[in-house]
Amino acid sequence: MELVRAERRDEAIALLLPVFRRKVFGLAYSFLRDREAAEDVTQEVFIKVWRALPGFDGRASLSTWIYTIARNTSLSALRARRPQASLSDPEVMEAVEAIDPATSADIMADRAAVVRLVDQLPTKQRQAIMLFYMEARSHQEVAAMLAMPVGTVKTLLHRARARLSAAAGKMSATA
Amino acid sequence: MSTPDSELDRHLEALFGGLDTRSDFDARLMARLRAEAHTGATERAMRARQQERARHRRAVVEVQSWRRWMVRLLTLDTLGVALLLVVTAVTAWPHIRTDVVDTFRQFGPYIVMLLAVLIAAVPLLGMWAEQNTHA
Repeated sequence: MELVRAERRDEAIALLLPVFRRKVFGLAYSFLRDREAAEDVTQEVFIKVWRALPGFDGRASLSTWIYTIARNTSLSALRARRPQASLSDPEVMEAVEAIDPATSADIMADRAAVVRLVDQLPTKQRQAIMLFYMEARSHQEVAAMLAMPVGTVKTLLHRARARLSAAAGKMSATA
Repeated sequence: MSTPDSELDRHLEALFGGLDTRSDFDARLMARLRAEAHTGATERAMRARQQERARHRRAVVEVQSWRRWMVRLLTLDTLGVALLLVVTAVTAWPHIRTDVVDTFRQFGPYIVMLLAVLIAAVPLLGMWAEQNTHA
């Protein structure tokens, strides 16, 4: 806040970026399911934060404020773009493969299947699952990012995992 | 695909644990912010110029209305003074000594003409002053 007061917003953003870039990107990605669009939204969010920093009064915590901007920007972007992207789009699958190039073909196939299963989850469950595993399984962080009580996040995760397990079970039974 | 819970966890972690933007994200953002700051400064300067222009226009309108008011007042004043002079002259005429009357008869037309020129000149002078300020 001292940097903002001293009209050094660029420096303030440079400090915020390493802390919030991944989180904002993950949040945007959980809404949009499209890396390119999520990156655009993430840039938009940080530009909005940069513009609004002088007006930030500190009543809410910085993370709450940034997540609110991120959610609203993602929702606006989501409304603006139709048809909706899917996690199982080819570019998403390429990104999945790029995570760990040394992974065996079997595991890759399993992961691709998991992506498709996650893609079929209801929106909130999908978001909870994605952010939970992105944020090193922190319920609190996911709750803060989605502006939900921790209990709700736990319920969403429980239901999502149950669905995923059931769907995975079905798949292995038919395989 | 056999996916017990721990395996599912591993897959999900591998899929989403490493989610991140492209490596040039920060550089692109900082470039956009610099451009934004430049645009912001230009916009602020334009806004300041517009505000200054509007303030100047308001001031000019204020001065013009004040001048118009003064011209109207001066015209009325001059007319009033001229009327008063005529009334005074008519009232005082019978009591003025004959030599003064003779002098007045001699210079009367010049005095009346001077007064007429003055009365006509005041609003004209006012209008001229106003036009000069416009230019």
